[in-house]
Amino acid sequence: MPVRVETFSQVEEAARALSSNQKARIYGGGTILMRSVNEGDQSFDTLFRLTDPTLKDIRSEGDRVLIGAAVTMAEIIRHRDLSFLADAARAVGGPAIRTTATIAGNLLAPPPYGDLATALVALGAEVRFAGQGSANVPIDEFMRDRESRKGSVVTAVSVPRLADPTALRFLKVTRVKPKGVALMSIAALLPRAGGRIDGFRIAYGNMGPTPLRVAAVERALEGSSLDEAGITRAAAVATEGLDPPTDALASAWYRREVAPVHLRRLLLGQTG
Amino acid sequence: MSVEFRKDLFADERDDDLNEIGKPTQRQDMLGHVTGRSPFYDDHLFEGLLHMRCVRSPHHHARIRSIDTSEAERLPGVKKVIVGSDVPNNLNALLSLLDFGLDDEPLLSDKKVSYKGEPVAAIVADSERIARDAVAKVRVDWEVLPHVLDVEEAIKPGAPSVNGAYPANKFIYHGKYDHQKLRYGDVDAALRQADHVIEGRYQMSPIEQAPMETCGAIAAPETNDRFVCYTATQGLFFSLGTAAKLLDLSSARLHFIGGTVGGGFGGKVDSLHEPLAILGCMLTGKPCKYMFDREDEMQVGAPRGAERWYITDGVMNDGHIVARKFIGYFDAGAYTRLSSYAIIKGAGHLPGPYTIPNVYADIYCVYTNRTPATAMRGFGITGVDFAIENHMDKVANTVGIDPIELRILNAYRDGDMKAHRREAKNTALIECCQVAAEKSGWQTSDWVKQQSSLSGGGGERGQLPTHTATDQHGFVQDGQSGSYGGGSKRQEKSAYAETAAARAAPPAAAPPLRSMPVAQPPTQPARTPEPVQSAPAPAPATGPTAEPPQPQTRRSPARFSSISGLRRR
Repeated sequence: MPVRVETFSQVEEAARALSSNQKARIYGGGTILMRSVNEGDQSFDTLFRLTDPTLKDIRSEGDRVLIGAAVTMAEIIRHRDLSFLADAARAVGGPAIRTTATIAGNLLAPPPYGDLATALVALGAEVRFAGQGSANVPIDEFMRDRESRKGSVVTAVSVPRLADPTALRFLKVTRVKPKGVALMSIAALLPRAGGRIDGFRIAYGNMGPTPLRVAAVERALEGSSLDEAGITRAAAVATEGLDPPTDALASAWYRREVAPVHLRRLLLGQTG
Repeated sequence: MSVEFRKDLFADERDDDLNEIGKPTQRQDMLGHVTGRSPFYDDHLFEGLLHMRCVRSPHHHARIRSIDTSEAERLPGVKKVIVGSDVPNNLNALLSLLDFGLDDEPLLSDKKVSYKGEPVAAIVADSERIARDAVAKVRVDWEVLPHVLDVEEAIKPGAPSVNGAYPANKFIYHGKYDHQKLRYGDVDAALRQADHVIEGRYQMSPIEQAPMETCGAIAAPETNDRFVCYTATQGLFFSLGTAAKLLDLSSARLHFIGGTVGGGFGGKVDSLHEPLAILGCMLTGKPCKYMFDREDEMQVGAPRGAERWYITDGVMNDGHIVARKFIGYFDAGAYTRLSSYAIIKGAGHLPGPYTIPNVYADIYCVYTNRTPATAMRGFGITGVDFAIENHMDKVANTVGIDPIELRILNAYRDGDMKAHRREAKNTALIECCQVAAEKSGWQTSDWVKQQSSLSGGGGERGQLPTHTATDQHGFVQDGQSGSYGGGSKRQEKSAYAETAAARAAPPAAAPPLRSMPVAQPPTQPARTPEPVQSAPAPAPATGPTAEPPQPQTRRSPARFSSISGLRRR
């Protein structure tokens, strides 16, 4: 059966239609969904195309920035208020992919994708849904039960505005150079207050079913000033409490072996 | 990147008045490729082109109880559902065209599948999407069977039998052994006398050729009751012959057009697309295209097969390797394709570019429930070279000799006898090592710099061993391997059994090791290097192929005899 496309100008309207149609999917940038279309995925037969202009908004909300769900990687890279996210957005795909891939799509992308989402976890982003006003869901919670949220529509992602854009560090680890799919990615929020750093948030991509925070590393770093000793303590617990996957890119063993090395390089600022 | 030609080496052995050889030449298709104008098979457009997709096994190993295609056939736009019984001659081995190997692989399986992704039906439809939708509607009743994915597990007694033509999961060589033998000298005796016995295990992974253009073909009716086939094949006439055989058609009715291959590397010789596309065309009367998508290419497209090698070296304190023993397992996957041939190539390559007086190899072509393996650049050679050169480093470490010196000390030289009983000519390992050391800034001794492939070889080094230990282990009674090896062609299957009596005939008493005059080792500076002298031309080698000497009851023609390479001018 050919795949149908339905267009909606109001995101709430699309969300209502989606809740009553199991065989419909929201078309964002299409970089993941169109592959399924090409491969004849039988689980859906309808694409919802959303033209609601609010989904393309990037605007300030107090000390945070609200990014519409359909904002692309390229738009994030270009936006002067989002320079702290540019590294992570640039890590996604090539120019053609970045021109169409969206922030909401990245939040929902299965492994090995989700580089930007990893940075959003470290950043402490919040996710907003259609039909729920301006109520935000913290991203940790969103990732924890991502699967069960199928059928609801993301409208925006809210991120804190970083005064110092260098406080967010991002590293995508690939085995293909200059750029391939991430076998893991690491994002670290290192907010400086005086001489010390307070409120570390460390996140990994592709070390579990979704991007996730690494509590053991955060605890090890707490109160440290990112010195050699502190980083060594953090690297020692780099994969504590994690169950990294074995897939075509790398085995769980390999991921455990290299994670401390890359974490250490990122924290030392030696990722060049 | 510029190419540096080292014309100072072997300068007197080469004519430099050739127009192409030794000169950088632009590929004739380069302009078309970089300007996007090269016509690939998929650029040929046909009115009313039909598209083909295969129904594939989700299991590594399963019997097909039944295939229900009725729902798929009812789908609007589906023109034909092809199953195994529609294929005129539904059993083939690629190597049968070279008269080597039993037919063992169906184009569309109808009894059982032996690897994940094996095709059991093909849908021909108006669009690719409809073909995919119809694939999802074919119901196959599978009886899942135990599977085996490891070469050594696969040849244990009681392992699941993967391939109906070779029920013990081992290819039959020369109609008589369940492995390819190489016997040269007496390895066991030499190992007993060696100062060091150094063992190693080396495992390679399968490698997908990953061409940018996935495999495929378009077939269309042509005048005079012929079929035209545009194809990405690397071997046009090979594919034509394969299609003619599977479809039971005169090759005169097939008009194959190839010429532009969008990346091959060995992955486009398996000729699966041409016969299916032509069959789709025959059964519908319409042009028909069958192409892999990227997933198919990675999962079903045949890779370079994995290899596992065990190497045991006998080494003297001065670094001379006096014995080298190989046990090799090629993972052919579920069907033969080209793996049995890869092993013949590999056997001719052993023990690598070294002169070792005692060499032994048992090489098994093993069937497992993996994707069938096929050609890829240097297959049969590259894998065992990886093993050999890693092992050389291990030997160098163990004995405490510089790895370059160890290689040169044991390197073959012009006039030496190789283990497959051909004289070594055009040898250049020593010069390669010297240049590699120089380019990488590796410090070497004066002795290394003085060595040459042109001297120090031949003489006693050019003689066959005075004694070669042979055995009958792995002998297969009533084995068949096609007409090659004396059996009759087109056997339904090869009933064979190993007999206990055929195993391991006791070896004859070991004679003394043949002494090997070689270039002086650098660790013994008291001995002066042999004076450089031009090696006298040794008597041409007259040995048989890499088989152990056999009674004169059967003398098959020496196939694969060209593996000893070209002569120096």
